[in-house]
Amino acid sequence: MKRYFRELSVTAALLLVLLGLAVLAPAFYQPQPLLSLVTREAPTLIVACGMALVIICRQIDISVGSQFSVCSVCAGLLAARGWPLPLVVAASAGLGALMGAINGGLVAGLRLPSIVVTLATMVTLRQGLNLVRQGEFVNLPDSVQWFGLSQSAGQATLVVSALVVLVVIGLALRHLSAGRQVYAVGTNAEAARLAGIPPQRVTFLVFVFLGALTGLAAIMNIVQSPQVQPLSGAGLELKVIAAVVVGGVAIAGGRGNLWGAFAGLLLLACVSPALTHLHIEAYWEKAIQGAIILLAVVADGVRQRRGGK
Amino acid sequence: MKTLLRLGVLVALFSAAATVLSAADGKLMVALMPKAKGNAYFLSVKAGAEKAAKELGVELLFDGPTDTNAAKQNEIVENWITLGVDVIAVAAENKEGISTALRKAQKAGTKVITYDADALPDARSFFVNQATPEGIGQGLMDEAARLMNNEGEFAIITATLTAANQREWMKHIEARLKSSYPKMTLVAVRPSDDLKDKAQSEATALMSANPNLKLIMAICTPGVPGAAEAVKQAGKTGKVKVIGLGLPNENKRYVHEGVTDSVILWNTMDLGYLTIYAGTALAKDQLKPGAVSFKAGSMGTFEIKGDNILLGKPFIFNKGNIDQFDF
Repeated sequence: MKRYFRELSVTAALLLVLLGLAVLAPAFYQPQPLLSLVTREAPTLIVACGMALVIICRQIDISVGSQFSVCSVCAGLLAARGWPLPLVVAASAGLGALMGAINGGLVAGLRLPSIVVTLATMVTLRQGLNLVRQGEFVNLPDSVQWFGLSQSAGQATLVVSALVVLVVIGLALRHLSAGRQVYAVGTNAEAARLAGIPPQRVTFLVFVFLGALTGLAAIMNIVQSPQVQPLSGAGLELKVIAAVVVGGVAIAGGRGNLWGAFAGLLLLACVSPALTHLHIEAYWEKAIQGAIILLAVVADGVRQRRGGK
Repeated sequence: MKTLLRLGVLVALFSAAATVLSAADGKLMVALMPKAKGNAYFLSVKAGAEKAAKELGVELLFDGPTDTNAAKQNEIVENWITLGVDVIAVAAENKEGISTALRKAQKAGTKVITYDADALPDARSFFVNQATPEGIGQGLMDEAARLMNNEGEFAIITATLTAANQREWMKHIEARLKSSYPKMTLVAVRPSDDLKDKAQSEATALMSANPNLKLIMAICTPGVPGAAEAVKQAGKTGKVKVIGLGLPNENKRYVHEGVTDSVILWNTMDLGYLTIYAGTALAKDQLKPGAVSFKAGSMGTFEIKGDNILLGKPFIFNKGNIDQFDF
């Protein structure tokens, strides 16, 4: 119980908000709009899963927003050229993995600090994309939206696949040795090395994995509308890092899990529609989200001072 | 000491290079800064600017932040001062923030004008005003009222709550609403951070939170297709109307599907064209403070009100005319 205090408290906060909405703004629970809103968060969830791994491994990747934009635009252009959708999905995930490999290679291979490396790739990728696309929307063929399914079937597919990814990675992280290696490296890389775990390889792979997931997330986003805005994904890094931290993953590595990150994401994602439903001015949105993050960080700080892990 | 010397030589070399550059075959150098250089809106401004630069025989530099970033704008202005450009034309992201850098440019002898979004009046000679905030605010509000038969609830999706242009337009939308349309109610103003995806989520929440909503007005370009997609997905085409400030190409599909009724904007290419003409005339002393009109090449004469060069009335794109425009 005490061990999962952070995850449980975030979940409790989330339930409290949902309960409050049920009382004060029952219209929030109309199935169709709610499904749409949840679907809009599905891509973010996928990226948050990858980000959780990177942060547990004591690294960070602030270039995911730019990676997301690059994958979105490239996938859109390939789809517009008539590539079959499965190939587009593979290409986007591959491209994401490649960008992740660049980050991972620089961080693990040259032992550079990940915040600096990914800051550089964030800016480079964003600039490069702007240079090439100049902000122009990519128009997608009609067959791309909702994978060619009906809207509700498409939305259900996206939500279910995001949840499947969450559960699979969440379980693997806890029960597979690869997952435990991530915690080991994040807790103490030197100790991990002495125990026979190659810290640099684990670090490299979490970046590649995050990149691939970001590529998939980009696909899950572009199928939700007929046009791709190249700016799409700007600010995504803050959204997912916030979700992961609020969900109890320690920014210093070695601690946390995906269930907490999931709750953190939902809690933060709730704020905006909740304010709309409660007819509260939008000025509060960022302030409330900021307060939630601050609260989470303070909770971590208090824990650490008390000597808890 | 040695390092200092090297530094000195470098600086000298650099300024010499800058002088040579600016003096190259006596061509005027006109530098045009967008709020964000990847933005399609500013690219169409650039297209008009290029046309004017060609007609006038001036050299056009186009640079700006990749995404809206006030500090980066200052940096670029500083670089242009070092480079010794003759004219700087800026769409300001932050009114106060950019003004210090622009005053410095003026002191260095560079002519400064603003377009699209103004700086402080003492930091530039003229502002090329694409449409007065009144014109835009009233144009949007009147169009909304026409589509809603002057009654009912509507909501606004904006860029960010602090964006200068949007705030100014909001002021006039609200003033017009209060003075002319007592039976209409503005139920919410939501930010989209200039992201189409966020605008889509915001519009979805707006519709479910406000069952009587009759219209969504998006006052930033990515907001219009974002809101339209949300309305379409909610199955409320026709029941919730969409209008906004936007680009024709991004909205054609929704206008033809009947989701979006009207897209309001000025002619962005004309804005770039007029800006370059005005900047060049300023540098050649053909345009001076106090002028009441200004003739810009093939586009004819424009009214000047105070220190604002007016581009004219906003333009409404709809099903009937939108296919004639390609930007």
